[in-house]
Amino acid sequence: MSFISELTKGIIKENPIFVIVLGMCPTLATSTSVSNALGMGMAATFVLVCSNIFISLIKNVTPDKIRIPVYVVVIAAFVSIVDMSMAAYLPALHKSLGLFIPLIVVNCIILGRAEAFANKNNVINSIADGIGMGLGFTLALTVVATIREVLGNGTWLNIKVMPSTYDPMLITLLAPGAFITLGFLMALMNMIKEKK
Amino acid sequence: MKMFLKLGLTLLAFCMVATALLAYVNSLTKPKIEAIKIKEAQEAREMLIPDAEFEEVHGAIDYYIARDKTTKALKGYTFTAEKAGYSGAVKTMAAVDSSLTIINIKVVQQTETPGLGTNSTKPEFAAQFSGKNASQLIVDKDGGVAPNCIKALTGATITTRAVTNALKEYIDILSQEINGKGEAK
Repeated sequence: MSFISELTKGIIKENPIFVIVLGMCPTLATSTSVSNALGMGMAATFVLVCSNIFISLIKNVTPDKIRIPVYVVVIAAFVSIVDMSMAAYLPALHKSLGLFIPLIVVNCIILGRAEAFANKNNVINSIADGIGMGLGFTLALTVVATIREVLGNGTWLNIKVMPSTYDPMLITLLAPGAFITLGFLMALMNMIKEKK
Repeated sequence: MKMFLKLGLTLLAFCMVATALLAYVNSLTKPKIEAIKIKEAQEAREMLIPDAEFEEVHGAIDYYIARDKTTKALKGYTFTAEKAGYSGAVKTMAAVDSSLTIINIKVVQQTETPGLGTNSTKPEFAAQFSGKNASQLIVDKDGGVAPNCIKALTGATITTRAVTNALKEYIDILSQEINGKGEAK
């Protein structure tokens, strides 16, 4: 597969949330508002690209039998380094994204891509895969967050969009609301796919 | 047997490299991160009590004495109160004047339910604390009578209680600290 197709497959065809259904925990936690979704999406994309590069580079020296523990060590160490450097040198960025960094460690999209893609492909394609999956994740999170924030809080990116008479549906902001929203969106995705 | 030893050693090598890297980055960044934290806390205090200089006091609780920058007159005290809310600790930074009446508060850290408990970070919630003293720090659901009470947030009585009771506890301790040391000027 070429660079471009590796890049675009993560956005719709193999969307990490709607199609592969990975990373549900951060999805539930950070899709309560659009600003959170964008923050989590960007932080995850950054870590995903870097971890993909790294895993792809060390794929020849990693014994197959212990690859998973090695990935866990690499990803956890990498995320911690990013977290510490960001807090020290980019405090403003860390303030808005820092909250999501510990969540990325438990984001199985990162480990999922390391196992399914980066350890079988070269560095260039792994970068493309990381960017594509990251963008797909960000896009899906934003769509879920848009629905939840507009219905649950009457706002979008903290800007009021619903009339003042609108009584917010609080359930959409809670975990069950996330599952319901996600269910409807997945059904919609499947419907579109079957029509094709 | 030999294979397992080799696998174990390989994993050990990976872990050692990762740990060494982490230790190195930590030694570089730790002083910087701490300096930033101290600066942020200082800025937060200055927002609560403007034009003041702060002196840190370690007692039963850690608090800061705020004095006017030019006249050195006592302006009040700031502290960070903490109590368990609905899902984790709720930290509230507060400034009180010399008679221990609240000037301003700010919920600085919380992990409460989005849309309910998180409303505690809104200025409307913080505003009702201004001008209250320790005896008025009681949630309306616990028998407080308006206007000498704190109105509970809709669907987040526990969060409201965490903030209110934490502030009350800290002000009571602060009052003992100050009077015990004869510093109430």
